[in-house]
Amino acid sequence: MIEFKDIHKAFGENKVLKGINCTIPTGSVTVIVGPSGSGKTTLLRSVNFLERADSGEIILDDFHLDVEKATKADIHKIRQRTAMVFQMYHLFKNKTALENIMEGLTIVRKVPKAAAKEKAIYFLEKVGLGHKANAYPHELSGGQQQRIGIARALALNPDVILFDEPTSALDPELVGEVLEVMKKVAQEVNSTLVVVTHEIAFAREVADHVIFMDGGVIVEQGPPQEILNHPKEERTKQFLSRYISLVEYNI
Amino acid sequence: MNNIVEFSFMWDTFIHLLQFIPVTLFLAIISMVLASIIGLASAIVQLRNIPVLKQIATVYLLIGRAVPTMVMLYIVYFGLPILLLVFTDKTGIDTGYQHIPPMVFAIAGLTVHTGAYLAEIFRAAILSIDKGQMEAALSVGMTWFQGFYRIIFRQAALVAVPLLANQFLGLIKSTSIVFTITVIELLGGAKIASVETYRYLETYLVVAIMYWGISIIFEKLFLLAEQKLRIFKKEANI
Ligand SMILES: Nc1ncnc2c1ncn2[C@@H]1O[C@H](COP(=O)(O)OP(=O)(O)OP(=O)(O)O)[C@@H](O)[C@H]1O
Ligand SMILES: [Mg+2]
Repeated sequence: MIEFKDIHKAFGENKVLKGINCTIPTGSVTVIVGPSGSGKTTLLRSVNFLERADSGEIILDDFHLDVEKATKADIHKIRQRTAMVFQMYHLFKNKTALENIMEGLTIVRKVPKAAAKEKAIYFLEKVGLGHKANAYPHELSGGQQQRIGIARALALNPDVILFDEPTSALDPELVGEVLEVMKKVAQEVNSTLVVVTHEIAFAREVADHVIFMDGGVIVEQGPPQEILNHPKEERTKQFLSRYISLVEYNI
Repeated sequence: MNNIVEFSFMWDTFIHLLQFIPVTLFLAIISMVLASIIGLASAIVQLRNIPVLKQIATVYLLIGRAVPTMVMLYIVYFGLPILLLVFTDKTGIDTGYQHIPPMVFAIAGLTVHTGAYLAEIFRAAILSIDKGQMEAALSVGMTWFQGFYRIIFRQAALVAVPLLANQFLGLIKSTSIVFTITVIELLGGAKIASVETYRYLETYLVVAIMYWGISIIFEKLFLLAEQKLRIFKKEANI
């Protein structure tokens, strides 16, 4: 379970998060949607302290963290219990696909090399890239890189995996393969998944819970049928009408 | 014997001067290693914005790059003993500064000078690495230092190698000025030899060829290092 309590964050004068409160149940798939600039990325990054919120609490199961008082050790601990999949993949460029996955296992988790390698191969195969083990990131397509990014996160078996628009940097024809992998992951993995995406169809099919954010607040949240099909708030309706008509059109 | 350039003499000089090459290389390599440490530390301190240390690094970089190498050498050579003398006076701890060989001052002077340039090279190289790389490292649970050492530094090293090579070749040539503080290296050895024989031109031609040879060897070595580091890079064969 991951819980946000009154999270605030400003960049200078720009108030980006204005009191976020919500609970994401263990093992659920939660999709966060919302217009550009609404603070989705900032919220996601505040969980693993890539962005440090100004005030509020972040609770990860038994681990309560007042963001104002969080120490280096706290931050290190929460990072060890979470993993992130980035919009731009951010695979380690000086490491092969296999090494990208092994890195966190051997260096952070202190898994012996042989065991880490075995595990890395298992997850490479899970994302359908067993044959690319020795390829460097520049030798892989965007879709392949992102699948390895997902494998890197999965291999750590974290409590929470944070996805920040994992498909929006991809060419349209590569989006499908990554969404496929994510669906599979959602079904098989015990980790809590928090996914920021504009893929409404994916949210409808895979999410247990949808959060709509706008202007630094959660406007409404609930099961996907409710939020995506019968939104109550005007802002949600507006956002979705723009989005869904566009998406539905493409299909 | 009346030729302007006497080759057999040059050959003899070459053989005679070979004994000084280790001194030159020792000076250059030790100074380079120490300067790399200082340079990298300065770059990190600046990039991480560490208070106080950052200010010290900034002042050091300004001075290190503004003062000519030879002046730096003199300042270290004449200044350091005084500093140590005062230290001994104040604390009663004997530093034995009278017995410090001039080689130590030479290395200190060259290191201070080169370190300031290396700091800039490292800083630029580190800044050229996408900041997403560190974020990814942190996101899998690495500490900043682990991420820096295992991911950022290794990518930045590749960017830095050609510039480091340049700096090192310059440093080899700079070692020739330490003769002025009584360290006998390749040029110093040649000066002494030429005074004995009065054959200045031939001697310095030999010295020039020897510096040239050393430079070529190290240029090749750096190229090799670059190729070895480059395996993860796309533009491998440009
Ligand atoms: N590092 C930063 N420094 C200053 N301002 C920032 C920074 N990161 C984000 N912002 C600002 O915070 C606001 C919210 O940004 P955020 O990236 O969280 O939005 P988002 O909902 O993820 O948008 P998008 O859908 O475009 O990714 C924006 O106005 C952005 O300009
Ligand atoms: Mg975003």
